[in-house]
Amino acid sequence: MKADVVRGHLDGLLLAVLEEGPLHGYAIIAAVQRRSGGVLELRTGTIYPALNRLERLGLLSSSWQSVGERRRRCYALTDAGRHTLAGERTAWSEFTAAIGSVLNPAVNPAVPPPGLAP
Amino acid sequence: MSAAGPRADVIDEHVAALSAALHGPARAKSRLIGEIRDGLMDTAAAHAADGVPRQRAARLAVREFGTVDDLVPSCQRELTIAQARHTARTVALTSPFLVACWYLAGSIDQGQAWQLPRTAQLVAVHLAGVATFAALFAAVALAATGTLARRLPTPRGLPLVVAWAGTTASGAMAGAALALVTAAALATDWPLLVCAGALAAASHAAVAASARACRHCARLPVT
Repeated sequence: MKADVVRGHLDGLLLAVLEEGPLHGYAIIAAVQRRSGGVLELRTGTIYPALNRLERLGLLSSSWQSVGERRRRCYALTDAGRHTLAGERTAWSEFTAAIGSVLNPAVNPAVPPPGLAP
Repeated sequence: MSAAGPRADVIDEHVAALSAALHGPARAKSRLIGEIRDGLMDTAAAHAADGVPRQRAARLAVREFGTVDDLVPSCQRELTIAQARHTARTVALTSPFLVACWYLAGSIDQGQAWQLPRTAQLVAVHLAGVATFAALFAAVALAATGTLARRLPTPRGLPLVVAWAGTTASGAMAGAALALVTAAALATDWPLLVCAGALAAASHAAVAASARACRHCARLPVT
């Protein structure tokens, strides 16, 4: 999937991989790549300013934790972050359903608009 | 040269180039750059663990992270907002001191045989008004770039407006410092007025430096 498309959904991707527990930057990158099967085309360095922004918005919190022999800044979802993630999932489901109805009308028959019904 | 040398060189060069291209509050920049460096080192280590030669692993990590041109716009946007928030916080915290200084000068004025000239009193009211308005705007800017930004998009021009609000507040503080020191020369209770003038001068220095950095950041291209 193209980088521009992925960038538009970056917030949702980051919130989703943090749902199971706190992770540091590289672990977040690895989780996104593992879950996507490496299909997403993403400049992984752009994840760090995105994490900063989500923390500024109060959707993530961060703290220093020991990971192996080094101390890393680990990010965790806040309650507001969980709420936003639920909203992202709903919006994505509606979006894919709508696009699917147009691309594959046989598989996803759309409700005909008023006035066009037989 | 150690086995880790080439890896560190490639990554360090990339991080140094990124650091040179970014501008913002030292703490925020250091944190962002440090996290990116850690991530690059981890990525290179993961490739090396898969059997990729160390130098090639470092180059792969740098390629996956993106070039400096790829990373600067999104990183600079965060640093510009961090600088705007820093300036807004400085204005919001120091402007009430300026109003307090004028209140102090006014209260001393009441008990003295001399009085501040009418013009000076009008200037004082205007400077205090400017400081109060700047403090209120700074508080709004902090909210607009904080949790409120979940619901409302942050205007692209906000950092520049914050920078000029800070510049205006710093000008008011400089004027206040000058006026308070002049008033101290006329008053019998001059030590308090000198202290108030020094406080206004210190506030001016803090706000002016932050506002100057904010003006610089606000002119840089971001995503």
